[in-house]
Amino acid sequence: MTRRLGLAAGLLVAAVTLALPAVLDDSALAVYILLGLAAMVTVGVSLLMGYAGQVSLGQGAFYAIGAYTAALLALNGAPPLLGLVAAPVAAALSALLIGVPLLRLRGHHLAFATLAMQLILLSLAGQLDFTGGDIGLQGIPQFSVGAFEASSASVYAYLTWAGLALVMLITHNVITSRPGRALRALATSEIAAASAGIPVGRYKLVVFALSATFAGLAGGIYCFYTGYVAPGSFPVLISIQYIVMAVVGGLGTIWGAVAGAAAITLLVQGLDRLASLPGMPSYAPSVLSYAVYALVLIVVVLFMPHGLVPAVSRRLSRRRAEVPYR
Amino acid sequence: MLNVSGVSRSFGGVYAVRDVSLSVADGEVCGVIGPNGAGKSTLFNLITGHLAADHGRISFLGQRVDRLAPHRRARMGMSIVFQAARVFRGMTVEENVMVGAHGHTRAGFAAAALRLPRHQADEREIAAEAADALARVGLAEWADRPADLLPIGQQRALQLARALCARPRLLLLDEPASGLRAEERERLATLVEELRAAGLTILLIEHDVGFVTRLADRVVVLDLGRVIADGPPAEIRSDPAVLAAYLGQAS
Repeated sequence: MTRRLGLAAGLLVAAVTLALPAVLDDSALAVYILLGLAAMVTVGVSLLMGYAGQVSLGQGAFYAIGAYTAALLALNGAPPLLGLVAAPVAAALSALLIGVPLLRLRGHHLAFATLAMQLILLSLAGQLDFTGGDIGLQGIPQFSVGAFEASSASVYAYLTWAGLALVMLITHNVITSRPGRALRALATSEIAAASAGIPVGRYKLVVFALSATFAGLAGGIYCFYTGYVAPGSFPVLISIQYIVMAVVGGLGTIWGAVAGAAAITLLVQGLDRLASLPGMPSYAPSVLSYAVYALVLIVVVLFMPHGLVPAVSRRLSRRRAEVPYR
Repeated sequence: MLNVSGVSRSFGGVYAVRDVSLSVADGEVCGVIGPNGAGKSTLFNLITGHLAADHGRISFLGQRVDRLAPHRRARMGMSIVFQAARVFRGMTVEENVMVGAHGHTRAGFAAAALRLPRHQADEREIAAEAADALARVGLAEWADRPADLLPIGQQRALQLARALCARPRLLLLDEPASGLRAEERERLATLVEELRAAGLTILLIEHDVGFVTRLADRVVVLDLGRVIADGPPAEIRSDPAVLAAYLGQAS
């Protein structure tokens, strides 16, 4: 029963996802693409925080690494496809390198260290010549494979959502397997996990790198879609936003990450429109967008501590008088 | 099987364990008792690798292990049941037990993400062993429940199932009877007796003297971080040093 319902819901989501790029206009399509990219990063955040119990307040750094990698390769004449493949790889390698010292920290310390990591990266990108300084990199060519060039936004929409589907599939496959159980176990107790034969340090490093891979892939698509990257595209707020999305949707659920990304993206868009109405003060957009993260986070933690998706699925399963669990 | 020789560990200049030697033979159930603060937990952590010894050596299956990380010792066949409930939250009873099989299976992230044959084979094997282990401790019908909602007695049984799923050569039990009600304690004792009958080597660290003397072939008594007696339960019960240090006051 539940399985058939899930399959039907999945098919419906897939159909809508595929149909949307055909009917949306360009500005709505931009929201749709950014939503998909945010969801891609948030699935990684949910895997890292919700399943493996590790915090990252610097996920935007890996998004930036992916974007800069793809941009630099494309600007230096490499085929865009190579740039798109290199983006997640570069993000993963950076995570492996940075993760060795960083993942010795836990909880708040790890959160601050990842935040610092992003700040350092941003100021480096703003200072170095080859990253274009504060102005960033411009004139990135369109994404293309062979003779086919992605000339319209709907191609980027399909690329984004195909990437998201891949990321969700990988995450699902990982968490419902031997390494996934190990990650979920070490989230509760590293001591007990080690005593079950799990190399805790290595597993934390791999899941950190995997979440960075997803962010890097999103960054790669982003740079081809927008055509430019600059430090200003990856503020610290973006990392906070991913966490808010993951928590709002429901940490430790894959669909929750997507639902959270959709809810927050649409909410912020709505508020942006509201704030730019005639008569609103000039500081309204920034105040509203900052305030909404805090407000939404507080409301969700108070009233739906497990997030949107678990709250809804629990309500559904209660209606069918089943034992609610995950 | 296990050989601890001259092991010491101090905290801030105070010895928690001082020059302790003990050995556990193949197929033996060895009990370690001692009053609170005798160094039982420290000794346990030194053997499992969660603490490093200041001096001395520990060998397991003829190989020196005192510099090995806990997960390496676990993979050699040391399986642990912790005193504190260390049940993995957000996972079912069955998934908790499946974690126990981690050490002797191989499917990694790539095999899982791509659903390679290696993953499928491992999953089948792990599920079968978990079902076996759950049946052995009498938790089979709880398999699909969330593990953190089990009562404490069953959480301990769950940990035992997880340890069995790891194909242990040596089973280490840290105060397994603490916090259990009388009938839960009885059920646990019966379980340990069955495991002993099946030939499993067990190191049992326990505060409850009755529990240990009933189950152990040999008992080591710790007091103030030192071994003060080592012998069969009957001898230990009448040893004057033990009576003075422990039995007289504690029970």
